[in-house]
Amino acid sequence: MTLGEYLTDRLGRILAQMTCGAAAASFLAATGTQPGVLILSILALSLVCVAAHLADFFRQRARLRELEEVMDSLDQKYLFTECVQPPRGLYERRLFDLTRRAGRAMTGAVSDAQAAQREYRGYVEQWVHEIKTPITAARLICGHLDGDPRRRLTYELDRVQAHVERALFYARAESPEQDCVIRQADLGEIVAQAIADHRTLLIQSGVRVETAGLDRCVYTDGKWASFILGQLLQNAARYRGAQPAVVLSARSLGRQVQLTVSDNGIGIPAHELPRVFDRGFTGSNGRACGGSTGMGLYLCRKLAGFLELGLDIASEEGAGTAVTLTFPAKGDLTKL
Amino acid sequence: MPKIMIVEDDAAIREELALLLDNEGYQTAAVTQFSAVSDQVRQAAPDLILLDLGLPGRDGLSLCADIRKNSRTPIIFVTSRSSTGDELRALSLGGDDYVTKPYDIPVLLARIRAVLRRSGGPAGPEALETGGLRLHLAQGTASAGDRCVELTRNELKILAHLMSHAGQIVSRADLIDALWDSQIYIDDNTLSVNMTRLRAKLEEIGLPGVIKTRRGMGYQL
Repeated sequence: MTLGEYLTDRLGRILAQMTCGAAAASFLAATGTQPGVLILSILALSLVCVAAHLADFFRQRARLRELEEVMDSLDQKYLFTECVQPPRGLYERRLFDLTRRAGRAMTGAVSDAQAAQREYRGYVEQWVHEIKTPITAARLICGHLDGDPRRRLTYELDRVQAHVERALFYARAESPEQDCVIRQADLGEIVAQAIADHRTLLIQSGVRVETAGLDRCVYTDGKWASFILGQLLQNAARYRGAQPAVVLSARSLGRQVQLTVSDNGIGIPAHELPRVFDRGFTGSNGRACGGSTGMGLYLCRKLAGFLELGLDIASEEGAGTAVTLTFPAKGDLTKL
Repeated sequence: MPKIMIVEDDAAIREELALLLDNEGYQTAAVTQFSAVSDQVRQAAPDLILLDLGLPGRDGLSLCADIRKNSRTPIIFVTSRSSTGDELRALSLGGDDYVTKPYDIPVLLARIRAVLRRSGGPAGPEALETGGLRLHLAQGTASAGDRCVELTRNELKILAHLMSHAGQIVSRADLIDALWDSQIYIDDNTLSVNMTRLRAKLEEIGLPGVIKTRRGMGYQL
């Protein structure tokens, strides 16, 4: 608060005081007060007024600074009224009470919303677990079918399952600390799991899979990492070119491990590349191939964040796409 | 024949799983009453238990702890709960493996075989033999009479699959499926290349044309 602001704010009062002073002066002049006495009285009166205003200004400014400092130092800003020095004076106390009531109402609304979200997440997870039972039964019944119908039905069941998994991980990503367990894991097993989960899709799409140098340990959550790889394999199969192949190869990078998933598919236009991790972004390929949700890579980036996993993408139209996962070194992990 | 006990509350899965395992040559026993499961386990004395974690009334984890009190029977958890935490808890309570629903049938069968092998059950055969052709799985060689030839990993798996289905027509797709089970991720073209090499090797040991091509259907040994 500057002096200018303060004066503008108090303009009405100051004008009123000046009018009163002028009225008093004219009254005194009319009743025959000596000019010397009159000027002295006006000076004295003005001095008192200016002093009072200045004192008020400095007090208010100091108080505001104090309050702003408290606010700035708080992580949870809504705790403001609980943390400031007790209010001075009746007016301030009443204002504080009002603010506190507003704050309480807001905290209540927020915690209601959080509870509703938790419930919803709980329901989604429960639903996902329940839907898995009939999918499992359907897969087993599939086993009675021969050859082609079995493969085609399994392919469709895989698609159902891929959607279900995305829903599950979407819910999990809301409160990752409940599910994410970072520990030492075998990279080969993680990759084998992701490939096994998508074998029907990969075989049906005629994708050749090559692996190299996977005999390494990484620090991550195996299930989450396997889900991320699964999204990449689905993309490799969906956006494939002629004679599709996907190569999963790992190498050490200091104490980190880098896994590259590269395909020889149709690639991503350069101007779309920066947005592929955005939620709901489908791009020209997604529109051309259909069935794209724009959720796969978005979830990958979100989950990778919790796993402290580096996620980089490079692509050339018509040549292929390579996604590089950089697994953190044990010492760099903030949550183990 | 190893006996597998199925503890699963969903009737459709229970019946289909029993049927599947029967067809695979296992004996099966299914639990339909979920009270006193550990007594039922004792009476049935299975070689392996497939235990669902989401049973009515009783948590599968505490049931596992119960069974473990007086039995070393290997247990594979089958569950739709799929977080790493769940898996760690289950394995720390004495489970031998953990398979999440919905499982792929070949994957489940492979896990069952692996756990049975680890628990010292009947091991798979070391050699396969069909009509004068002998396949030594451990050495990775095939022989006929006194002639012997070394096979690559892919060729070995292809020949093993054909020999274990001797007389039947095996489609290329089934063959690819079987190879993927062994983490050999080949496509149609690679299969053709491997098949040509395998036939040449079999010709070397005096068995030309032992793998017949059934046009439009697949291969037959």
